[in-house]
Amino acid sequence: MNEPIKLKAKDYKSSVKPIWCPGCGHFSVLNALTKAFAGLGIDKDDTVLVSGIGCSSRLPAYVDSYGFHGVHGRGLAIAQGLKVARPDLTVIAMGGDGDGFSIGGNHFLHACRRNVNMTYIAMDNEVYGMTKGQASPTTPADWDHSKLTPHGPGVRPFKPAALALASGAPWIARGYSGNPNQMARLIAAAIEHPGFSFVHVLSQCITFCPEQTDWKAVVHEREEEALVDADEAAQLFLHEDGFQTGVLYNAQRATWPPSVPEPQSTDITRGFSV
Amino acid sequence: MSTQPLADFLAHSVELESEARERYLELAESMAAHHNDAVSEFFLRMAEESRLHLEEVGGIAKDHDLPELKAWEFQWPDEESPETTSYEAVHYRMSLREAMLLALDNERAAEKFYASFARSSSDENTRKLAAQFAAEEASHAAQLVKKLGALPADSGQHLEEDDDPHMPE
Ligand SMILES: Cc1ncc(C[n+]2csc(CCOP(=O)(O)OP(=O)(O)O)c2C)c(N)n1
Ligand SMILES: [Mg+2]
Repeated sequence: MNEPIKLKAKDYKSSVKPIWCPGCGHFSVLNALTKAFAGLGIDKDDTVLVSGIGCSSRLPAYVDSYGFHGVHGRGLAIAQGLKVARPDLTVIAMGGDGDGFSIGGNHFLHACRRNVNMTYIAMDNEVYGMTKGQASPTTPADWDHSKLTPHGPGVRPFKPAALALASGAPWIARGYSGNPNQMARLIAAAIEHPGFSFVHVLSQCITFCPEQTDWKAVVHEREEEALVDADEAAQLFLHEDGFQTGVLYNAQRATWPPSVPEPQSTDITRGFSV
Repeated sequence: MSTQPLADFLAHSVELESEARERYLELAESMAAHHNDAVSEFFLRMAEESRLHLEEVGGIAKDHDLPELKAWEFQWPDEESPETTSYEAVHYRMSLREAMLLALDNERAAEKFYASFARSSSDENTRKLAAQFAAEEASHAAQLVKKLGALPADSGQHLEEDDDPHMPE
C-alpha cells in the first residue's frame, strides 16, 4: 500500500483569501489550526469546522475541510448536533467573544455542561470586530473607545475559563495569537481530548483595540501541569490575570450522549405489549 | 538538536524560509485587500526573496534525511521563527518605510539565528553552512538599509482612507 502523502499546514488552507485586517490575531488562529491538522495528520474529508458570525467566524471558509458558516451565536448548537449525528467526524466549533459569550452565551454554558466530544475555539479580542468595535462581554469595564459606551461599558468582564469550568467543561486551555506554534500544540491536544475541549484564544484586534498589541508583554506560559482538581481550577480561574497560556485544566468526564445499546426488535415489541 | 546537527539545522532553515515567505504572502494579500498597495507590493517582493532563499536551502536539504518536526517541536529563540513578521507589528495603514524597517528586523533576526549556529554548532559542516546563510541574510539587510536611505521623504506617511474604522456618530 502506498504511504499517504503527508500534508503540510498550508495544504489545509483553501483558495479563499482572508479579508481580515493585516495584523488581525485571527490569522494566527488559522495558522495554528492548520499546523495542528498537519501535526496530527488530520483527514480533511472527516473534519468539519462550524462557526457563527463575526470576523473570527469567517475562519472555516479559509480551511480546506468541510465547513458550516452558521447563524450568529449558534455555531455550538449546530456543531453538537452534527457530532451526535456523525460521531465519526472531527468537529470543531469556533467564533468570537461576541458570538460565543453574548448572543451564543447560553449555548456555550450548555455545551460545557453536555460534554459532547468536540472542540470549541473562542477567538477573544474583547470587542465586536465585524460590526466596527462595540463592547463585548469580555471588554474591560473602562474601555472607552466606542461611542456607544463613551465611558466604557462599566461592567466587569466575563472570565471565559471560569465560566467554562463552572458549567462543567472538562478540558480548558488558553492560547495567544502572538504564539501560533504553542497554540497549534494546544489545538492538537484539544482535538485529541475525548470530550468537550475549550480553547480560549487571546486574539488581538489591532484595528479597534490597538492597545492589545501590548499583550505580548503580559502573556505568560503556565509552567505547571494542567490542573485535574476542579476546586483548584476554580481558585486559579477566579484569581488569575487572564493572560496565562497552556492547558490549564484537564479532567475526564463521561461524554454525551452516553453509549446505549441499539434497541432490538424484541425490546420494541415488548414496549408495546399490554 | 544534537544527534544529527546538520539535518536538524537544515530542517529549521527550511521552516524559517518557508514561514517567512508564507507570512509575507499573507500580509501582501491582506494589505492589497485593504488598499495599501505600496506595502503590499513590498511584501510581495520580500516573499519572492524568501522563495529564492528557500529554493537554495531546499536544494541543499534534499540530499539529507530531514527530521519531520511538528510546528511546536521546532526550537526558535522566540515564539515564532526568526524571519517571520509578527502580526501585532503590522497595520493596514502602515507606511512603506515602517514595512521596510520591519523587514530589516526580520533579516537581522535571521542573521543572528544562523550566526549562532555558525558559532556554536558541534558539527563543522553545519557551522560552515550556517555562516554562509548568515552572510546572505546580512547582505539582504545591507540592501534594505540602502533602499531605506533612498526612500522619498513622504514614504513615512500613513495611508489615508475615506472610511475610518470608527463608529458612525
Ligand atoms: C442575529 C444577529 N445579531 C447581530 C448581528 C450583528 N453582528 C455581526 S458580527 C457581531 C459580533 C461579532 O463579534 P465577535 O463574535 O466577537 O467576532 P469578531 O468580529 O470580533 O471576531 C454582531 C453583533 C448578526 N449578524 N446577527
Ligand atoms: Mg470579538
